[in-house]
Amino acid sequence: MSLNSSSITQADVAPKQPLLRLDAVGKTFGTHVVLEDIDLSLAAGEVVAIIGPSGSGKSTLLRCINQLEPPTTGRVTIGDTTIEAGHTPTRRELMVLRRSIGMVFQSFNLFPHLTVLRNVSLAQERVMGRTREQADAVSMQLLARVGLADKAQQFPSRCSGGQQQRIAIARALALDPQIMLFDEPTSALDPELGLEVLSVMRELAEGGMTMIVVTHEMRFAENVSDRVIIMADGRIVEQGPSGTVMRNPQTERAQRFLHAVKDR
Amino acid sequence: MNDLVDFWLEHLPAMLDGLMVSVQVTGVSLAIGVPLGLLLALAVQSRSKPMRGIAIVVVEVGRGAPALILLQFTYFGLPNAGLSLDSFSSAVIALAWCTGAYTSEIIRAGLEAVPHGQKEAAEAIGLNHLDALRYVILPQALRVSVPALLGFSILMLQASSLCFAIALPELVSQAYLIGSTTFRYMPILVLAGLLYAAICIPATIAVSALERKLGAHA
Ligand SMILES: Nc1ncnc2c1ncn2[C@@H]1O[C@H](COP(=O)(O)OP(=O)(O)OP(=O)(O)O)[C@@H](O)[C@H]1O
Ligand SMILES: [Mg+2]
Repeated sequence: MSLNSSSITQADVAPKQPLLRLDAVGKTFGTHVVLEDIDLSLAAGEVVAIIGPSGSGKSTLLRCINQLEPPTTGRVTIGDTTIEAGHTPTRRELMVLRRSIGMVFQSFNLFPHLTVLRNVSLAQERVMGRTREQADAVSMQLLARVGLADKAQQFPSRCSGGQQQRIAIARALALDPQIMLFDEPTSALDPELGLEVLSVMRELAEGGMTMIVVTHEMRFAENVSDRVIIMADGRIVEQGPSGTVMRNPQTERAQRFLHAVKDR
Repeated sequence: MNDLVDFWLEHLPAMLDGLMVSVQVTGVSLAIGVPLGLLLALAVQSRSKPMRGIAIVVVEVGRGAPALILLQFTYFGLPNAGLSLDSFSSAVIALAWCTGAYTSEIIRAGLEAVPHGQKEAAEAIGLNHLDALRYVILPQALRVSVPALLGFSILMLQASSLCFAIALPELVSQAYLIGSTTFRYMPILVLAGLLYAAICIPATIAVSALERKLGAHA
């Protein structure tokens, strides 16, 4: 089952020009440097896992990419829209960015006062200008893909954590994003419920979706992602093909982190 | 006893007229004041400094000054500034101001009760500020605020009795009028009290029931 059928053609034309590029992105809160000099480029269809110790800036990096947190230095380019740090992005730029990037949060953040269906339809109506019928039809397809068509008329509070996270994925997919960002999507879930979310993500990846996944799931990082990035203290300390980085890390900092994780 | 009931029945129509005026002045004040409270709650959090400044002054004066002073200011004070209003309009301005000031605090607390992740999720799916507010934040904030807003509305009905000071023919004014012609102040004020209670006690019970219901669904 393919969650993103159009991406094959994307992968064919895009390899030279990356879909997403970060140049020297940095973020400070007051005097606290949280991200420093992050360069990153992502080709269409690529799946990148970001791992690293708590507080290393992984979430902040994702939030800088979609400007939930404006970077303090550097620039973010997606397609042909570039947002420079220090300039407040125009409404149009912000809109392009948000439509191109879907985000899934650790704590789901579904809208509790709306039904599952409305959660998925809202942005289609308000942002894409679809009618309610069009939006609901698309939402029903997306919910069916994540296996939750029967929950459409329920409120999120009546769904399990794993179901809520799958709904959140459907909500993010509703804008047809080119890139999906996941911030520890399974960390708030029991292992079993985490599995159903991971399997949806794996299908997405296999369908060709471009993804950045911050995760503590080492198996996912190693087996599903094409590339692994290890962060520590606001910097990228190592990156490369997932097999190489996970099994044979070169830097001392990366070795220390992986060692600590595997000892658990 | 029969005598008292006869006295009450005789004056009940005038008293009900007064109650109608009380309910009307309260209703109109709330209809203007609660939306004003919403705007003030948003303005107090605004990024624009002048906007924040104005909102804070309006709120602090509305909460700081006793309602009786606001009433007298709009009725006796504004004519000095060249603006003469009838007692109903003066009452509405004063009570709507008071309502706006107090309900802005209630609504602000409701806005703060909405988890930050809701705003982020709304932004991440591309909603602009206004849509995020309208479809995501406000519905949740107002749901939290509704019991307190209804409780405040009941208090405002009682506070509308202060309008007797500016000659608005509401319930207490009517009672005084009847008292001054019959010299039976005590019984007629008791009737006024009973009429307030007849509205406020059931309303209070309904509000607590609603509060329990909303609490159970949260
Ligand atoms: N809004 C903020 N204001 C101030 N400091 C912040 C803010 N957000 C994050 N930080 C700080 O930035 C650092 C990196 O945080 P971040 O959440 O990006 O780390 P993380 O790698 O995602 O950690 P975890 O694995 O625990 O989720 C932390 O020291 C955190 O305290
Ligand atoms: Mg994090």
